[in-house]
Amino acid sequence: MKRSLLTAVTMGAMLLGTSSVLAQQVTLQFWDNQQTESGLSDVQKAAVERFMKENPDIKIEVTTVPYPEYQQRLLTAVQGGNAPDIATLDQIWVGAFAKAGAVADLTEQAGAAALARDNFFGGAWDSAVLGGKLYGIPFNVDVWQFSYYNKALLDAAKIDPASLSTFDGLKAAAEKLTTNGKFGVGLFGHKGEDTVVVGDSFIFSNGGKVLNDDGSCGLTEAPAVEALTYLQQLSKFAPGGILNASSGDMRELFLNGSLAIEFWPALEQPTLQKSKLDWGFVSGTAPEGKTPVGTFGGWNLAIFESSPNKDAAWKFIQFMVREDVNGDVVDLIPANKKAATAFLEKNRKDPKVIMAHLENAKARPLSPRYLELADAQIAMFQEIYAGGDPAAAAAKACEAINALD
Amino acid sequence: MRKDRRLHWLLLAPALILMAVMLYYPMFGTVYESFHETSFLSPDPKFAGLALYRRIVADRTFAEVVVNSIVWTFGVVLLQNILGFLTALLLNQNLPMQGVLRAIVLLPFILPGVVAAILWRFMYDPQLGLVNSLLLQTGLIENSVAWLADSRMAMASVIVAAVWKGFPFSMLIYLAALQNVDQSQIEAATLDGAGPTRRLLDVTLPAIRDVIVVNVVLTLILTFNYFDIIWVLTRGGPQSATHIFPTKIYETGFGQFRFGEAATYGVFSILVLAVLVALYAIVQGRANRRRGVA
Repeated sequence: MKRSLLTAVTMGAMLLGTSSVLAQQVTLQFWDNQQTESGLSDVQKAAVERFMKENPDIKIEVTTVPYPEYQQRLLTAVQGGNAPDIATLDQIWVGAFAKAGAVADLTEQAGAAALARDNFFGGAWDSAVLGGKLYGIPFNVDVWQFSYYNKALLDAAKIDPASLSTFDGLKAAAEKLTTNGKFGVGLFGHKGEDTVVVGDSFIFSNGGKVLNDDGSCGLTEAPAVEALTYLQQLSKFAPGGILNASSGDMRELFLNGSLAIEFWPALEQPTLQKSKLDWGFVSGTAPEGKTPVGTFGGWNLAIFESSPNKDAAWKFIQFMVREDVNGDVVDLIPANKKAATAFLEKNRKDPKVIMAHLENAKARPLSPRYLELADAQIAMFQEIYAGGDPAAAAAKACEAINALD
Repeated sequence: MRKDRRLHWLLLAPALILMAVMLYYPMFGTVYESFHETSFLSPDPKFAGLALYRRIVADRTFAEVVVNSIVWTFGVVLLQNILGFLTALLLNQNLPMQGVLRAIVLLPFILPGVVAAILWRFMYDPQLGLVNSLLLQTGLIENSVAWLADSRMAMASVIVAAVWKGFPFSMLIYLAALQNVDQSQIEAATLDGAGPTRRLLDVTLPAIRDVIVVNVVLTLILTFNYFDIIWVLTRGGPQSATHIFPTKIYETGFGQFRFGEAATYGVFSILVLAVLVALYAIVQGRANRRRGVA
């Protein structure tokens, strides 16, 4: 009798203890998207388990959404008042989410935790700053573009790969390589963001801007128009159908040896490493004597204003961008520079070339109406690839961009 | 009598409630939003009167969307019904392996729209696609054609893909109608010396006239509202060459976060659909009355 009483009391105490932990435990909803079949979600799950072990009072529920659906799902959730606590936001969405009041200002927390621009790639950090306030912490990054080349085709045409780094060199190589049913360079101009980032990179590398410092459109300035004219000339050496082609469409042609040079971010390397193709790459293209400037891509971690557990969410963000964690939970490149160095050494060819290009890359304009701005740019690129006058196409784009308030 | 009426309403209630919540509430919400400036950046609707309508109509893209929608809808409906009818005529004959043939013809209809669109994207590929390969081999073209990237070809190309996907639907309906044609009338016409064309024009077509009209109106509604094929194939491009109402609404709302303008496009779309649905109701009503008289 005594023993059974003791057992009952002990069990009761244990139950009370458990329920008190459960009562204190907060559950965070974390949304992320998946761009590649990299098995990342398994690695992320392990990292989340590790976080929950380190923080038993916080439970993380991860929702992974395929990339094509992610924007719509997130938007619908925010509009419907069902936003998650934390989510990865594409760099180009941060402006809109911040202006809409959907994501929390993290300036103070970041300052207190000594998370600063220096810890991350500058362009990636800048992509989360609107009106001097920080609305996200860079999570992963990449840069458009690297010029990947087929070594055998370049060798056969006696072209020095280093020459691809200059405007003149790339054009001469593309012309020489466009022969016998093969194409020199793969340009793409479909209605997608890859069209914009590659075009921007040529504009940046030629000293041009998409937006001037005063926020007005800079595409009609000489350096931008020159870059557009150059792209139009380059399109003669590209496979047909540019206006409906994406960077992904070029992959098959590159892998079957029909395409000599293609523009991709560093993320393309795992795919190429799996192929039998002998390939190499250089960092973008610029006029002679200038350094190629890439366009940043990537994702930031943001906390939603509607979250009742912002402190716990902030703990989770700090964990995800930590040097020893960040490299394990991304499929692009860790935004934490120290983690990026280790990640690139382990996973990518020529890591120093990639690091240098990342350090030199520029963010796309951080505008709350970026998506409309990008649409105006896509229309401009499509017009020049269809043979329209670059200056006129730029003027039309600027008219649309300047009309955005 | 009163009890019966109550029972009718009781049985109808779940469907009516569901329609009110899932259909009419969002539809009236769309109309409301079309008179208000609202976007993701300014979620609180501000009354704007007809400003959004004026802005959209003044934009040259609107005219392109209207023209594209007309070309797309009538192009698909016409070709889909002609092809569906001819296939139904063929499958209505006593052919060997009829079941297998019907299953093969039905395949495109069974495929999800997105899968069909991806398939056609591969087939239209300028360098690696089957379409160019066949046309080059047969000497019908000398150079590869960028079917989806050339604004002169893109609309025709998406129409062909949609017709391939949709014609089995029309075929099914026509086949069912053909199988219900009174055989004694056909036999009588044959005895009177009518050939196959005369029998088709004077006996078969009049007998299935109602089905043809209903089928055409129904496919008009479905085609006007179609989204998957165009979105996957071209996203409404190049430029706006293949933008129709559903793709424009999606791009404006979810691609640019401009909900008010997307709603305004939606209202135009609802108006067109309302006319088509009314047409369908009239046609169906007439057909029912005719059957009642007969």
